[in-house]
Amino acid sequence: MSVIPSEVIIVKAPDIRESAARERREKLSAFLRNWQGVVGLVLVVLFFVSAIFAPWIAPYEPNTMDIPARLSPPVWDHIAGTDQLGRDTFSRLLYGGRVALKIAVIGVSVSLAIGLLLGMIAGLGPRWLDNLLLLLFDAVRAFPTIILALATVALTGPSMEMVLAIVIITSIPQYARVTRTATMSLRNTEFIQAERSLGASTIRILWHHILPNVIGPLLILAAMDVPVVVSVEAGLSFLGLGVLPPTASWGTILNEGYLVIRDAPWMVVAAGIPLILTTLGFTFLGEALRDIFDPRMGRGR
Amino acid sequence: MDPVLEVRDLSVEFRTARGRIKALRNVSFSVQPGRIVGIVGESGSGKSTVLWSILDLLAGNAIVTGGQIRFEDRDMLTRSTQEMLALRGEDVSVVFQDPMTSQIPVLTYARQMRDILYRRRGLGKARKREMSVEMLDKVGIPDPDMRVDQYPHNFSGGMRQRAGIAMAMLTGPRLLLADEPTTALDVTMEAQIIHLLREMQRETEATVVVVSHNLGLIAELCDEVVVMYAGEVVEAGDVRDIFHHAQHPYTRALLECDPARIEEKSHRLPVIPGDIPDLVQPPQGCIFAARCQRVMPRCLTEAPPLVEDGQGGYARCHLLAGPGHDVNWPPPPEVLTVARGAPATTGAKAVSSEPLLEIADLNVQFNTMGPVWAKVRGVKQPWVTAVVDASIKVHAGETVGLVGESGSGKTTLARAALNLVGSQGGSVRFEGQDIRGMAEAAFKPFRRDMVMMFQDPVGSLSPRKSVRALITEPMKIHGIRNVDPDHEAERLADMVRLPKALLSRYPHELSGGQARRVGAARALALNPKLVIADEPTAGLDVSVQGEILNLMAELQAEHGLGYLIITHNLPVVRHISDRLAIMYLGRIVEEGPADEVFAAPLHPYTETLVRGVPQPDPDRRRTHVVVKGEVPSLLNRPRGCDFVSRCPHARALCHQVVPPHVTAGHRRTHACHFPLGAASIPEKEGSSR
Repeated sequence: MSVIPSEVIIVKAPDIRESAARERREKLSAFLRNWQGVVGLVLVVLFFVSAIFAPWIAPYEPNTMDIPARLSPPVWDHIAGTDQLGRDTFSRLLYGGRVALKIAVIGVSVSLAIGLLLGMIAGLGPRWLDNLLLLLFDAVRAFPTIILALATVALTGPSMEMVLAIVIITSIPQYARVTRTATMSLRNTEFIQAERSLGASTIRILWHHILPNVIGPLLILAAMDVPVVVSVEAGLSFLGLGVLPPTASWGTILNEGYLVIRDAPWMVVAAGIPLILTTLGFTFLGEALRDIFDPRMGRGR
Repeated sequence: MDPVLEVRDLSVEFRTARGRIKALRNVSFSVQPGRIVGIVGESGSGKSTVLWSILDLLAGNAIVTGGQIRFEDRDMLTRSTQEMLALRGEDVSVVFQDPMTSQIPVLTYARQMRDILYRRRGLGKARKREMSVEMLDKVGIPDPDMRVDQYPHNFSGGMRQRAGIAMAMLTGPRLLLADEPTTALDVTMEAQIIHLLREMQRETEATVVVVSHNLGLIAELCDEVVVMYAGEVVEAGDVRDIFHHAQHPYTRALLECDPARIEEKSHRLPVIPGDIPDLVQPPQGCIFAARCQRVMPRCLTEAPPLVEDGQGGYARCHLLAGPGHDVNWPPPPEVLTVARGAPATTGAKAVSSEPLLEIADLNVQFNTMGPVWAKVRGVKQPWVTAVVDASIKVHAGETVGLVGESGSGKTTLARAALNLVGSQGGSVRFEGQDIRGMAEAAFKPFRRDMVMMFQDPVGSLSPRKSVRALITEPMKIHGIRNVDPDHEAERLADMVRLPKALLSRYPHELSGGQARRVGAARALALNPKLVIADEPTAGLDVSVQGEILNLMAELQAEHGLGYLIITHNLPVVRHISDRLAIMYLGRIVEEGPADEVFAAPLHPYTETLVRGVPQPDPDRRRTHVVVKGEVPSLLNRPRGCDFVSRCPHARALCHQVVPPHVTAGHRRTHACHFPLGAASIPEKEGSSR
């Protein structure tokens, strides 16, 4: 039970006119005080940097074989060991990060954009349209991702584009649903009524008044969705339905490591670590963003 | 006699990101057994914090930094959690402000009340149920035996609050705490609940502490009053002393600001200028000094002395003792000690003959089910009528008050006039042009001329927009590009007297009064002709209400605005309205010049509203409740007159025939078969104006 009356926390207006800068400073300092957020941000930055600069960081070409050095344990030359073809696992992981990054960025942003649009339409539009869209979302969600992937891949053959398409299609409903619910609860609020009474158009209401109020939770959802997308890719690649060998991806490396888990257990471990760190990083970042994104939260705590 | 409850030097702080808010500072008062003590104060006064401190239910960031709360010889603050658990609900119980949120929606009352009795292991289920039924019967719930098995959503608002009181009284507590027990209720329900609380107290001889901002409730219910301001007790004493001989300037100002106290009609209401001080760094000296009309240099530096009146009451003020002593303070009650708003309305207002807004026989229906479903179920009328044959006119420069309880359809009527909800019959004319049911594209130009101020000051502002963006938005919406938005924002802020520093703030950072000003600025941005204001004073403190109403009156005088003010609060509108329309269950039951309607109501419902407001005067307590029952649901509108089920004067005809709108004289209309004081109307007619 919240017992402090909100009016106790009266913020006296100081005589400064620059709000944007002040707001930004406040947000930043709030973020820096949140250790989880900082750790998350560091991990996420690490993920981006290592993936983007993989060709410069990687000590070896990802696909260069060195049969004599196959299944090497972690040593100074191969800090994450090598696989059964003698390829340097660390280099392959860095390159695998590029695949993960591509899938994550494209997959999440495209599905977020489409889901946001459909969700707002469903939430604000007429009842029949809402029902139709809901039916569509539920139909998509009814398919387990893997089964959908299996079926599609059986028709088209495995490829990175297929993985992306599957990721996007299966992620849209969750964004759309969250947006729809938020839009519906907003549409009868007094401030939306007030906007209408001033003559604001539906597009203006959607863009200026609904979007800023639903985007916060969605961005957090997106941040937390990145690890899901990355692991879907890894899972599909692990099953041989995603990225094709010899292209390095975390899933394929896991798959290869799985085959030699008794002889070289470090390979599976090495492929698991970036997955875990990425997941953790985005989740922490997402939660920290949630804490500071909503201006009504975090005050007086 | 030893006090039941004694609070001594209680200090509470809240840890926040901005530092420690010193929410309570050395609060002391005591409660004698069998008394009803009211703690009164505005928002931010710390009155609720006192209540929660007593129960040890303060929020997690609160720290009690000192003091004692003695309940029957033991300090509550040193009791263990176990002891407090045994105490709460058993010896001390609470009636909450909002019965909607304080009762469990998924459990029946029988179950909830049985749970309250969980400590009484000796009692069987059947006996507990019996006790619950008895208690519900006592608080006036009809058919308690059947009702006890219902859920909170089956009860109406007033019934729910009655059940809340029943639940609080079930264990026979020695101390009953009530937190704004009537704030969520309508005027007629409020009177009933006050009556019930008094009765229950008399019967059980419990000691009651009531927290409220409502002076009428305090005067009507309490024996003693503690006045709080910004976390300090500024005055305490017997209810009559407080209301008739207030010693502290704040108490005095608060009483003078109460619209129910002001007898004469005035477009300038008294106000207490300024804001509550920042409690992170409370000012030295007197806490009220910054807003006090009688402030002296010593008030800013020295803490005021505590002056006792010899009968248990006291006040803290330099005017009462010491070097600042003023023998002429307090002045007699007729003298106003607080400022009235700036004199803007001089001379008669120019009221044109052509109405700005003319609503005639407007009907608004809401569907209760889809058309197909209605066919299947054979329902002939799958709708409820929220507004029935409503007619109302607003002229330029005129203020019309539309008064009714919740569910009376007053807000729906306004929204229908603005084309925000569909209407099913009648006409809405704006400057002679029929605008009812116009397509939005065609209606858009009218939105510049007729605007609405919404009820919730903060909630009606888009939360992610800065004040600057909010008040210039109307110009963007209507494509006005030849103005400098920054310049316009400052002009509008000046117009509604909003400090410019607030332009860069967001709605949640504003106080209610400030947010209301932003709402006004938005409404007036495009120089409208008509403003429809929905509860313009809702959610505002008494001292701020006056400021907003004065501002509205000034703007009206300046721009010749027509106002339609929608409210449930008759005392507030009566002072600023030229004409009043009283609405009940979707029908306008009476309409006419404000002072006449108020002085000599024709419809019994109007009389109920006029008499139903608790007077801030302990010597004018009502001994009986004027009207019983509650507003019926739209789904089962009574046959005949809508008010028949509650009307004290109902006769046979009223049960059968819907009363038509009758024009009495040439300026008053009513819808009653047997208007009150019908004979005296022609005289009234002659003497007015």
